[in-house]
Amino acid sequence: MTRLYEHGDLIWFLVMRDLRVRYRRSTLGLLWTMLQPLIMMLVLHVVFSHVFRFELYRYPVYALAGILFWNFFQQSIVASMNSLRGNAGILQKLPVPKAVFPVATVISGVVNLCLALVPLFAILIATGHPLEPALLFLPVSIILAALFTLGAGLLLSPLAVFFSDVVELVGVVLMLLMYLTPIFYPMAIVPEQYRWLVRFNPIRSVLEVFRDPIYYGKIPPLPHLGVTVVIALMALLIGALAFRRSSDRIPFYI
Amino acid sequence: MPRPVIELQDVSLCYRLAKQRIPSFKEYALHWMRGALTYEQLWALRGVNLKVERGESLGIVGRNGAGKSTLLKVISRVLPATTGRVAVRGRVAPILELGTGFDYELTGQENVFLNALLLGHSRREIEQRFDAIHEFSGLGDFIRSPIRNYSSGMLARLAFSILTAWTPEVLVLDESLAVGDVHFVKKCEERIDLLRGQGTTLLLVSHLAEAVRAHCHRCVWLDGGRIRADGRPDEILALYEGGEATIGVGSSGTTVSA
Repeated sequence: MTRLYEHGDLIWFLVMRDLRVRYRRSTLGLLWTMLQPLIMMLVLHVVFSHVFRFELYRYPVYALAGILFWNFFQQSIVASMNSLRGNAGILQKLPVPKAVFPVATVISGVVNLCLALVPLFAILIATGHPLEPALLFLPVSIILAALFTLGAGLLLSPLAVFFSDVVELVGVVLMLLMYLTPIFYPMAIVPEQYRWLVRFNPIRSVLEVFRDPIYYGKIPPLPHLGVTVVIALMALLIGALAFRRSSDRIPFYI
Repeated sequence: MPRPVIELQDVSLCYRLAKQRIPSFKEYALHWMRGALTYEQLWALRGVNLKVERGESLGIVGRNGAGKSTLLKVISRVLPATTGRVAVRGRVAPILELGTGFDYELTGQENVFLNALLLGHSRREIEQRFDAIHEFSGLGDFIRSPIRNYSSGMLARLAFSILTAWTPEVLVLDESLAVGDVHFVKKCEERIDLLRGQGTTLLLVSHLAEAVRAHCHRCVWLDGGRIRADGRPDEILALYEGGEATIGVGSSGTTVSA
């Protein structure tokens, strides 16, 4: 980790490169980052309020906050898994600390998430949702989400090097997890006997710390916040340890 | 008495699974459940002992698969040795295959930063040296074009300029320099001499005997992962060239992809 700190300039360059590739190549890039969650939100809004017919107060805000979180989580994990393989040439030739690639990936994911907050705020204003001071808590929520996601990315990215089918496997698992996380549905519609599945899903805790300030306009209750901090740090610790254990083997397999 | 820049003690390196690689997690799980996980071991380096002093220039010769690339990867700390002790004191600047550590979508200028950051320099160090790198590369205004428009000669110029802008303790070179034009090759040789004057140790990997003869004081011959001979270039090269003719194919039990 100290070596990672010494390579701060490199991480920063990789983040900027990521963002530039994303936003320079197409003028639509920036627009797309903001538009995609909005379209998704509209679809969900139509589906859930007109087809499945459940009522949730200001559903668009609820769903959009969930979508932004999930996009960040899912895209960062997939990109982390590709980050090592995508830099195979470098990893075979240069003694760069390998963690710089997943770390830079998650950081650029955070920047994308922050950009996607712009349409969220537009929706908040457009729907007359109260802008509570609790919104100032969002940076803390985002940091927790980033630490949690980085942990998962560090755990999974070496696996993607060792086994080529892990990327697809993780895709399926992510899909499953998406339905086990109350992203676009409220907890209340989950049948009683399955609710524990959703409740003990650690991603839900991280999501709610992100959504509480936006949707409920409140700072997450302290016990819940405490649990989430522990979850995020545990995820990071597990990911970092797993990454360190396998990092020597990466150049042999890449 | 200063300590050697490179000190390898009984270094061996094993590529496990190099042949029977299990590419998918599914297969891994199936094999594991049946207890049928077998590994094939390929020893790319076997008990290598090597000491290189500061300022020495060492040529490394050997057939394809003799372990040259693996040896360089161990020295540049990319691959950890399976057994034995590796001590490399200082920065190793590896010459890279054309394009390694470059991003073809970025401009030459941006690639100077990317490449030098990957080599372990800080942004400030690079900013300070940027003009010198640019000038030595001789790329002029092309430095601001994306390098996908560069010729291989231009890429080699840029790579060499970045690599030698600092004085590394160890400089690794191979034949890839030869893609530059005569003029630039001469400039490179001058730069190498300059670095050697400052104490840089040179490692030259080459299939070409002349290159080793021209630049090196010392030469090792790698064969089947072992150091077969170590000494003056003309002696070793005579042995190597003679040995190649008589040994033929299949003398060593292992084959390793270089």
